[in-house]
Amino acid sequence: MTASGSTRRKSNRLKFIIGGLLFIAAVIVMIVSVSQATAEFFMTVQELLESEKDLAGQNLRISGAVIGESIVYDPASGWLSFTIAHIPGDEDEIEGLGGLSEVLHQAVNDPDNPRLAVRYEGAAPEMLRDEAQAVLTGTLEADGTFIVEELLLKCPSKYEDAIPEQVGE
Amino acid sequence: MIPTFGFMTLALGFLLTVYGIGVLIWGVIKKSQACIESARLAMLLIFPLVSLSIIAMVILLLGNHFEVVYVYQVTDQSMPAYLRLTALWGGQSGSLLFWSWLLAGVSMAFSIPKRRQTSGIFPWAGLVLFTTLCFFLAMNLFIDNPFESFWRQADGSWVISMFQPSGGWALLPENGQGLNPLLRHSGMILHPPALYLGFVGFAVPFALSIGSLASGRKDRRWLELARPWMLVAWVFLSLGLVLGMRWAYDVLGWGGYWGWDPVEVSALMPWLSATALMHTGILQGRRDGYKRWNVFLVALTFCLVIFSVFVTRSGIISSVHAFTESDVAIPLLLLLIILMLGSIGLLVFRWRDLQGTHEPRFGFNREVLMLLTDLVLLSILAVCFLGVVYPLGSELFTGSKMTVGETWYERITGPLFFLLLLLMGICPLAAWGSVNFKRIKRRILILIPISLIFPFLIWLLNVKDVLASFVLWLAGLGGLVIVSEFILVVRRAIRQSSGEGLHGLWRFIRHQTRQVGGLIIHLGIILLGIGIIGIEGLQQETQVALSLGESTSLGGYQFTYDGLELYTTDEEVEITEAVLTVTRDGKDVGTLYPQKQLYASLNQSIMQPGIKSTLAVDLYAVMINGDALTEEKAAFAIYVNPLVTWLWIGAAVLTAGTVVAALQEQKQVRLPNQT
Repeated sequence: MTASGSTRRKSNRLKFIIGGLLFIAAVIVMIVSVSQATAEFFMTVQELLESEKDLAGQNLRISGAVIGESIVYDPASGWLSFTIAHIPGDEDEIEGLGGLSEVLHQAVNDPDNPRLAVRYEGAAPEMLRDEAQAVLTGTLEADGTFIVEELLLKCPSKYEDAIPEQVGE
Repeated sequence: MIPTFGFMTLALGFLLTVYGIGVLIWGVIKKSQACIESARLAMLLIFPLVSLSIIAMVILLLGNHFEVVYVYQVTDQSMPAYLRLTALWGGQSGSLLFWSWLLAGVSMAFSIPKRRQTSGIFPWAGLVLFTTLCFFLAMNLFIDNPFESFWRQADGSWVISMFQPSGGWALLPENGQGLNPLLRHSGMILHPPALYLGFVGFAVPFALSIGSLASGRKDRRWLELARPWMLVAWVFLSLGLVLGMRWAYDVLGWGGYWGWDPVEVSALMPWLSATALMHTGILQGRRDGYKRWNVFLVALTFCLVIFSVFVTRSGIISSVHAFTESDVAIPLLLLLIILMLGSIGLLVFRWRDLQGTHEPRFGFNREVLMLLTDLVLLSILAVCFLGVVYPLGSELFTGSKMTVGETWYERITGPLFFLLLLLMGICPLAAWGSVNFKRIKRRILILIPISLIFPFLIWLLNVKDVLASFVLWLAGLGGLVIVSEFILVVRRAIRQSSGEGLHGLWRFIRHQTRQVGGLIIHLGIILLGIGIIGIEGLQQETQVALSLGESTSLGGYQFTYDGLELYTTDEEVEITEAVLTVTRDGKDVGTLYPQKQLYASLNQSIMQPGIKSTLAVDLYAVMINGDALTEEKAAFAIYVNPLVTWLWIGAAVLTAGTVVAALQEQKQVRLPNQT
């Protein structure tokens, strides 16, 4: 191999390295900038209410138990409002308290439990009902109302209940 | 009786995996062919044994055996036979059994040809398969046993256990809870089996690469043996993903098909790395290089498969459609760690052996474009992984839990997916060696005027979105490049086979299956991409309450509410069906029938959308606020989804392309052992 051949090989390799690094750098820049703009703080209702940080304008994601009687849909304005009750954010803690459905049941029926009023522009999804778990993405208004952008309710396979109701009679 | 039988056959299968692991290690140490052959025979027996378990489970499901907890959870008396069958994978423990069964099937199919054991790959590849099977069967037996039953005890209480407790007797509930209504859909029949087949299919390429590494082979024999498996697994994985989208689109009623949920994302990840593997696999077939890269990619793919199972079943990452929490997290994590450390260790150990002589040349050629494709695919994969673990990581490092949503994924991966679409259109223009730019220029100059038809068609759809139109135009141009390449290949075939007639043409095409198949697959993906751009970029939606006879308009269509129809199905589902008549400029377009389905026995109702599909646009309506539904007034979410049908068409084209590509693979593997 001549000297010029080896330099050519080196510069060839350099082009790959520079090209690859530029691409990766571009992807990283994109990830960082989009993350700053859209990442959400995952909080429980209690954490949200007790937070001393300024949460206005932040993207928040909260989880809570839906209080059935609070669900109101106003067809004229198209706004849906309801209240959620605090549930622990930690899966292990939920398990320790007797599982998700038990925690949801307790949360709704305990009047001392922290509660949060939320509003959503859109009609009630079918799964929105008493003691459903709602995962809400949105922002906190100045008056303390949570404006929901994305509404998720726990669905399919979670409904597997280990304990049969018929059993026992 | 039947549960015990199913459990026992499963237990025998598990014992055979333990035997297989032991005898293989012994056989390798003692260099005993007899031991290795014995392990191979053991492998052949596991699938029949697990099949007996599956048959037992199916009998239980079909026969209203509600004393079995799993049967109680997923079936009820009113369910038709086909739904009871799909209930096999409708719940956690059943689907895990189904997984093991498919894995056993794949392992058996791999072990049937006797000659493979002589190549030196089998003992190690077998060891990988035995170990994986061992873990899954152990989970079926000890952690998530689908054969457990209810038992009444002497003191009146009841328990769940596998075997009859002393002094207890069987407890038979009158009826089961029934399968979740959302899972009662034809998409559910095919989506999990396809996805699982795709998942377990990658066990074999992974086992082959590990076998090749461990036995010290330096050639690409493992890749040749693995390629048909990779193709089949890849197409099933693709189909599994698309069928899942179709199910979400048809059932969940939010007008979309993909929600970037951690479970979905984790199923996409192995697809991305497998797709990268297919590309560099081709490169390794042509050049003396990419050996380490491909070993890495195949290991990554299978580890991601296990990771996906882990995400879905461990409950560690919160997701809307994760299974109930169970204790499979730890064994799955353990398996993942073993597989990862094993592959990394072997790769490092054999690093020098995998040295290649080839160096790619920088410039506009196919090799560089394929490498760029790999880079884009793996970037998307990295983004996906980051998104899934983001909540865990942020909690660890910043103390407050943060998650990322749909917007995050879309904004980051959108440009990357677009780049992939571009690469697919550009790649056929590039050659392996130096490129004739004149010819490319001529071709592009012919194709660009033709491609202007795409923006024109979009304009006909009443769409004013400039960005989406531009992206669709480029996608259409890419599709045209692929079609023109296809025409060139066929024309060359005709020229070369002149005189031999159709027979000669067929023979030429047969020789080009890899190229022809590849082109069809890429065309399929471009069509799929057009569907996705249509629904992502051009979707229009409105939510509206309509009185009887009242209309609303969206995207140039008028939707009129024409009342309700009520009836009960054979499966005892009470249906409330709204009639929405659709017109455009006064002309009748069709009728949508969104339904509210009430499953009285479950006290659960779901909303089924009414959909009218054409090649240009889907009209999609779903009732909302079902409690306030009356003949006089009903509320709807209405969507106009342009082009989404092309997503499903693209998936069909992609499947056809894979079949064509696999035709030649068959032939190749039958070639004598070269290299």
